[in-house]
Amino acid sequence: MNQLSPDPKREMGAGATIVRYHGVVKRYGTFEALSGVDLDVHAGEVVCLIGPSGSGKSTLLRCTNGLESIEGGEIEFEGAVLPKDERTLRAVRQRMGMVFQSFELFPHLTAQENVSEGPRTVLRMNVGDANRRASAMLAKVGLADKAANYPSALSGGQQQRVAIARALAMEPDVMLFDEPTSALDPETIGEVLNVMKALADEGMTMVVVTHEMSFARRVGDWVAVFDAGRIVEQGPPEQIFDAPTTDRTRDFLSHLGWTG
Amino acid sequence: MTFDWSVVWQHREALAVGTGTTILLTVVTMLIAVPCGIVVAVLRLYAWTPVRAVATAYVELFRNLPLILVVYWAFYVLPILTGLGMPPLATGLAALALNVTAYNAETFRAGINSIRRGQVEAAMALGMSRVQALRRVVVPQATRRILPVLASTWVSLFKDTSLVSVIAVTELAYVAMQIRAQSYRVLEMLTAMAAIYWLLGYPQAKLVDWIQRRFAVTE
Repeated sequence: MNQLSPDPKREMGAGATIVRYHGVVKRYGTFEALSGVDLDVHAGEVVCLIGPSGSGKSTLLRCTNGLESIEGGEIEFEGAVLPKDERTLRAVRQRMGMVFQSFELFPHLTAQENVSEGPRTVLRMNVGDANRRASAMLAKVGLADKAANYPSALSGGQQQRVAIARALAMEPDVMLFDEPTSALDPETIGEVLNVMKALADEGMTMVVVTHEMSFARRVGDWVAVFDAGRIVEQGPPEQIFDAPTTDRTRDFLSHLGWTG
Repeated sequence: MTFDWSVVWQHREALAVGTGTTILLTVVTMLIAVPCGIVVAVLRLYAWTPVRAVATAYVELFRNLPLILVVYWAFYVLPILTGLGMPPLATGLAALALNVTAYNAETFRAGINSIRRGQVEAAMALGMSRVQALRRVVVPQATRRILPVLASTWVSLFKDTSLVSVIAVTELAYVAMQIRAQSYRVLEMLTAMAAIYWLLGYPQAKLVDWIQRRFAVTE
């Protein structure tokens, strides 16, 4: 814990290491989805994982809170290796918020109930306290007036904001975002990115798998470019987007039509 | 041929008691078979392999046996197995519950399977255990989704309770048949019995239709 990154480019504002990936290998049968990934996430940082589809960035995110197991290497969270047994893993997951591409709100619960569910069931909070926290979180994402709505009565952008509030209600130390805007209509992407930006400005540690290059550029403190299960380049956004050092990064960005 | 409908009125009290027993059998069977069905479904889906095999064997056995056979079996075999002499009502109830639990287990299994994996992942990402995820997220959604099927099972069950008349459970069918045997008023009693079953069954069927509309899944 409290190790500073050895990377000199990263001294500015880099706090304690919250998540450390060390030689992470993930296989599905004979297919190697991750082939030795090294990456550090420091307190207060927004680390963006970019790269083509199937390059392993979502897989890495899903390994972070143990939704997927790893076959090699180590993932450390707050200085301790990610446990394998379910019980200890649950305690770790409580401190990591996760936001999914397809929202995964609970359709049988209202927005309010979706957000209070974690505090009630997992933190064993009483109904009154859980509801107060849920209201505060919904207000934070600008949806105080939608508390009584069921997910089916919300737009995609609103659903994703409720999902963010649901994750925040656990008061996590790090937020994991798995392509949070990929399933959204273009006009609602902005509202979700704004909530994420506000969260970053508050100092939340975030790992964001995204195809929104302008978000990675503007909000990211550190960007890792994935290709075929490896990180081909990582660095501050200025380096990645303005002066990429590898051909793979240049290829990927030019395919997206990124002009800097 | 002359009809004498007074026989129905004359035995109205017995018929009312029989009807009450029929309703009681339906309600209690369902009260047993819904929670037990959930448990069996969960065992079939998630339990340790040998337990899973037992649950599967139970479902496949009782789902594929004629109910009337199960009723006879419960009447003759259960007392030997348990060493307890059970009254006909309890025996009939056991047979119905064994049968309907098997059906409900299959219904719940299908319902649970229909819930996206991402829902469980979202619950687990909050720090819930698998059991909590099932209880708080999967089963409530699955239940809504299969409510129309459960309601149909209910209506079938209401009529199928008549099968326990063969072991002298004094429900509606048994009572009507007894009166028929004593009074020789075959057509009157069968008609009265049909009328009672229909009058009680039809609103239930309509209720099922309403439930299907009311709980249509919106996502």
